[in-house]
Amino acid sequence: MSASNCLRCCLLRPSASAAAAARLRQGMPLAAAVAASFSTTANHSANAKPKPGTRAAERNAPPSIRQGKLFTIKKKKKNDSGARVKSPLPGERKAFRKRILLSNTNALPVPGLTDLGAESMLDPSNVCKVLSLPDDVIDQLRADEAFKTTQCWSMFRKPSMLIRTETVDLITRMHAAAKNNKTLRLVLTGDRVTGKSLMLLQAMTQAHLNDWLVVNIPDAQELTTACTEYAPILDTEPMQYMQQNYVLKLIQAIKKSNEKLLLKLTTVFSHAGLPQNIPIKSPLMQLANSAKEAEGAWAVFQALWQEMTAQGHGRPPMLLSLDGLTHIMRISDYRTPAFNPIHSHDLALVRLFTDHLSGATSLPNGGAVIAATSRNNAPRNPSMELALAQREAEQLGGGKDVPQPQPYLKGYDERVEAVLRNVQVIKLQGLSKLEARALMEYWAASGVLRITVDEKSVTEKWALGGSGIVGEMERASLLTMRF
Amino acid sequence: MASATNSLRLCLRTSNQITSRLRTVQRRQVPLARRALSTSQARWAAKEKGKDDEDSEPPELKYYSSFNDPGEAFRNRLKDETLSEDDRATITGMLEEWQLLPQQKKGDAERLKRDINNEMSDLRRIINPKRDAFWNDSDEKDTDLITDEFGEDDFEEDDMLSMSHGKLEEHREAREYARITVWEMPLLSQFARPFQPPAKEDCLRFRYTTYMGELHPADRKVVVEFCPKDVPGLSEAQQLKLKKLAGPRYNPEKDIVKMSCERFEHQAQNKRYLGDTVSKMIETAKDPTDMFEDIPLDTRHHTFKVKLKYPKEWYINAKRREELEALRKQSLLLDEQKRATGGLIDGVSIIKKNLLAAVEPEPVMELRGGPRSGKVRR
Repeated sequence: MSASNCLRCCLLRPSASAAAAARLRQGMPLAAAVAASFSTTANHSANAKPKPGTRAAERNAPPSIRQGKLFTIKKKKKNDSGARVKSPLPGERKAFRKRILLSNTNALPVPGLTDLGAESMLDPSNVCKVLSLPDDVIDQLRADEAFKTTQCWSMFRKPSMLIRTETVDLITRMHAAAKNNKTLRLVLTGDRVTGKSLMLLQAMTQAHLNDWLVVNIPDAQELTTACTEYAPILDTEPMQYMQQNYVLKLIQAIKKSNEKLLLKLTTVFSHAGLPQNIPIKSPLMQLANSAKEAEGAWAVFQALWQEMTAQGHGRPPMLLSLDGLTHIMRISDYRTPAFNPIHSHDLALVRLFTDHLSGATSLPNGGAVIAATSRNNAPRNPSMELALAQREAEQLGGGKDVPQPQPYLKGYDERVEAVLRNVQVIKLQGLSKLEARALMEYWAASGVLRITVDEKSVTEKWALGGSGIVGEMERASLLTMRF
Repeated sequence: MASATNSLRLCLRTSNQITSRLRTVQRRQVPLARRALSTSQARWAAKEKGKDDEDSEPPELKYYSSFNDPGEAFRNRLKDETLSEDDRATITGMLEEWQLLPQQKKGDAERLKRDINNEMSDLRRIINPKRDAFWNDSDEKDTDLITDEFGEDDFEEDDMLSMSHGKLEEHREAREYARITVWEMPLLSQFARPFQPPAKEDCLRFRYTTYMGELHPADRKVVVEFCPKDVPGLSEAQQLKLKKLAGPRYNPEKDIVKMSCERFEHQAQNKRYLGDTVSKMIETAKDPTDMFEDIPLDTRHHTFKVKLKYPKEWYINAKRREELEALRKQSLLLDEQKRATGGLIDGVSIIKKNLLAAVEPEPVMELRGGPRSGKVRR
């Protein structure tokens, strides 16, 4: 038979080897022969030959001499260890990756931590204070996808925010604009991890606390990297494109986040072309609920938008916010049917946002359009960078310091410059020492920071954070194993 | 190093003949070597015996014709009119003596002359060098080669290695250059002139190359530099046009246009071409037909060096120290206030406090009716 068998014969004791040799000559497998010495029962072992004539025998019969040798590729069995592993269902991994944990019972409850009120962020005396989010607002913000996984919510018992001078500045501007029925058009810029997304969250919190309508695009990247379905809107010149799947998701988010308001407000227009017929004076929630499939989602969204921005009729101000401005200020990854690239401003949803940001359309009931830039995963955009730098310089006084476009640089985009021509810019920088102290006291009171918060340690962490940049301070204090 | 007196003594010691002539030396105008210090011997020309002591002038070369006998020579001498009275008398006396000699003696003199000439004829014969006789051993032996044939190549312990000869040669070379350095190079100061900075009109600065006598293909290149601001008679707009015309030849940081030319064979030709080109550029810059207003100045060829300066506000001085002290005092005050009111938060103590508060004693299970009341009877 095989060489291994022969070797086994040699290694066995001489008496045994003789017997083994005899068995081999008979052609019987060694193991089977041993078992079957004194038994009359049939051999049920796996090695036993099947009965001749049965289907099993036919299947397992060696190929006939005439067929010759066959080349077979054996399938490699995955996970042969034998342990039974359940692979996650589709979408589970993504959900796990994007899960937001807002509470950690291992952290200590901070005594004296008060909730935010409707006017808290307008009060300058609240600067350098840490205030917590009320529970209902938390649900609304969760629906808006305002919380990010890179933020340290999961370390504390109750989600809380530091009120900075820039916060008060931003909220005051929002409030003033809404009071005069104007639209605040603002871009939040700054270095990485300076707290731009969190400032957007603070704006959204203020909007929810004051019963504004909130429409948030949590990650503009999803709109222009060609990861959602798109379709041309017919009879538009130049061709506009809609993204129904994304819009459907957006409608669900608007529904969940603005539930109370949508139940209260009723339609004032009649809309044609909707999947369901929504009569006038029906609650907006009904209109939003009529979007059940991606097919009619864009029409429903347009109708909903029209209703939400109807002048008067008790409509509240609206906050339109977006994170990751660079992604909508470039040529998208989508292609026309003729395989020409599509500019992101030709995508209908993006066009809606940019029209409001540039001031071409204003919110009739007042409100704010706020965009935040992102330094993480952001392609360089010379037009946007130049435009924002110019607005910043103009705000600081202008004159000779206003940066000019480089004469021979290619890649400037006229449309982008047009959108950002009249926006306000808030550049976020590091915290002041007092703000840093307040934040660190909150951390220490939660039991997450094991040091005495005196001037020395505050200055230390402030310096480690590169003159008080929040994200860097967090990295140096909360996300290290050093004590 | 020998002192001046020592060397003088050495010089004086060399020759006894010199001492008597020291007085006469002052009269002459023989150029003395201008060296104060020298350790080498001073050697004077060897004096002929029989000549007068006074007559120490270098001999004047006079052409003497050959005379058959002394009588002719004396007569010839007498013909000279520059003779002094004493000399004339002497020579006349000698001539008379000669004339009084018997005929045989006169013939002896002639014969003596002829014999000497015959003996010397071999020495006077012109020897033409044979064409192939230098390298080969010709049949005619080289009469200049004086050889003993035996023991020629024996080393008599009287020489050094050729390496040592070479070393001496190096030393000699060094001394040669040292001599030039000390004696001739100071004379170059005659060529020194005070520096005259270029006039305002000379806005072009040319650079030439020389390879110190060597012929090199790069020595024909001429480079010119100028600043557009220095060119007389250009307005701001014309200066900008000139910069645009220069293109990558313009350095925006130094504000200089630099051009070179090496397309012709001679430096002068290249320089002329450059001058013409610069003139053409200036002429075009002044031309108002097209001022290139819509074309921005291209500086992509140049990377501007970012010169970071330490901010003045960060410099430490007394005032800044005071400011920092005040800030620190303020922050310490804040700390003290917080400590006093109990507002100073210490993370560790808070955690400890909470951990202790969290540990509550668990209720211990006790049997109703006291101990052993629930004992199971078996």
